[in-house]
Amino acid sequence: MRISLTVNGQRYTVDVAEHKTLLRCLREDLGLTGTKEGCGMGECGACTIIFNGRVVNACMILAVEANGATIETIEGEATGPGLSEIQTALERNNSAQCGFCTPGMVMSIKELLRDKPKPTIDEMKEAIEGNFCRCTGYVQIIEAILDLTGRSAEKGELKHV
Amino acid sequence: MVYEFRYLAPKSVGRLCAALTEHAGAAKLLAGGTDLLPNIRNGVFKPDYVIDLKLLPGAAKLQYSQVDGLIIGPAVTINDLLRQRSVRRLYPVLCDCAHQLASHQIRNRATVAGNVVNASPCSDMAPALLCLDAVAVIRSAAGQRQLPFSQFFTGVKKTALLPGEFLEKIIVPAASSNASGRYLKLKRIAGHDLGIVGVLCTLHQGRRRYAVSSAAPTPVLVDGFSAGDGPEDVERRVLAAVSPISDVRASQEYRRHMIAVYARQLLQEVR
Ligand SMILES: Cc1cc2nc3c(=O)[nH]c(=O)nc-3n(C[C@H](O)[C@H](O)[C@H](O)COP(=O)(O)OP(=O)(O)OC[C@H]3O[C@@H](n4cnc5c(N)ncnc54)[C@H](O)[C@@H]3O)c2cc1C
Ligand code: FES
Ligand code: FES
Repeated sequence: MRISLTVNGQRYTVDVAEHKTLLRCLREDLGLTGTKEGCGMGECGACTIIFNGRVVNACMILAVEANGATIETIEGEATGPGLSEIQTALERNNSAQCGFCTPGMVMSIKELLRDKPKPTIDEMKEAIEGNFCRCTGYVQIIEAILDLTGRSAEKGELKHV
Repeated sequence: MVYEFRYLAPKSVGRLCAALTEHAGAAKLLAGGTDLLPNIRNGVFKPDYVIDLKLLPGAAKLQYSQVDGLIIGPAVTINDLLRQRSVRRLYPVLCDCAHQLASHQIRNRATVAGNVVNASPCSDMAPALLCLDAVAVIRSAAGQRQLPFSQFFTGVKKTALLPGEFLEKIIVPAASSNASGRYLKLKRIAGHDLGIVGVLCTLHQGRRRYAVSSAAPTPVLVDGFSAGDGPEDVERRVLAAVSPISDVRASQEYRRHMIAVYARQLLQEVR
């Protein structure tokens, strides 16, 4: 089936098999391999993208469902020569080790800050509850969000996330 | 998906009904896909046709009126409920359950209708719909019928939907608005997880009800409490209504124990 979608501001028209996931379509047909496949069934959040303004698991959406959709992925994040604000905060706080969870994590943080520019710590945790990170233990990721929301002073107080 | 199927996206209820009749037994409806697509991937379902209902006119309708109550269309997501102010104000119990379902990403996609048609014993929306006297509006080529959710769940992953039928909308009566209550869901981790047990207690115009998830083949409604019931009475009646099993997530004994703990706790908290 032929579908048209906008990804990171660019319009694409592709022929996709009707049973193909949006995640596979982004990676295999559009060459956007920044979005990762971990579990492939909604558990890990490595495939998190922004779909019509909302974070979703791209592994549980069919490519054909994205006909006409506007999508944001990690490839659209750094628009200038350097990293984006969210990426810079994650880097500064050592919020990535292997980095497999990071593209999805960035998308979840992006939606959070759009919806709630001043999130509480509980809201930060909730925003990333569907993004598994097996390396960092999450504290550094919350610290990056504290940085992004002007609350760097509270960083030392986070003991247990 | 490793498994191949055809995708249909009818734009009218008539076409959807026709497709369901034509492909009966070989088709699966697609709402948020958060249950269907993992199941196809794992080989649990092998449909020839996947029929998307999100393009139906009015599928995303979420509307409250004092006459009709709250109408929830088949494409309304869990987070749509949580984001709508009137739902938060009038149906806090619905929101309490919705908020504890899966992860934020999944709540952005998963529908209320898909959750109940899925008919998992651990459905987090079913307890709220049971306690609030919600009604399923069921549609097929033959016409429309209504069924209260107390008669909707018939077994593990089984509903009263007949072949060719689909859930066209959910109605939560206006009379149930402003019910107070709380849902306690026991999980292994603070983040997203299926419930080990879930206990909802509601109080509305002096009437107390409980609904329990992950404790029987279907979500269970426990009704008929009187104002003078003490913690022992409540515990006894709730436990008499459930029949939890032992599985990978918890033992039967632990489930029964925690249902009793939650039932007593909620008797104190929901006043
Ligand atoms: C990682 C993960 C965690 C989860 N955690 C929870 C949890 O904590 N609590 C919980 O309750 N659930 C949980 N779920 C299950 C699932 O996300 C929910 O049940 C969700 O609400 C299903 O809705 P959906 O729109 O995605 O359904 P879909 O997957 O689209 O459909 C589910 C089933 O219902 C049928 N169907 C859908 N809509 C209709 C309709 N209108 N009429 C007739 N048939 C229909 C489909 O054919 C399919 O068989 C989880 C799932 C995953 C993957
Ligand atoms: S790959 Fe989509 S949630 Fe794990
Ligand atoms: S950095 Fe490795 S999983 Fe998060």
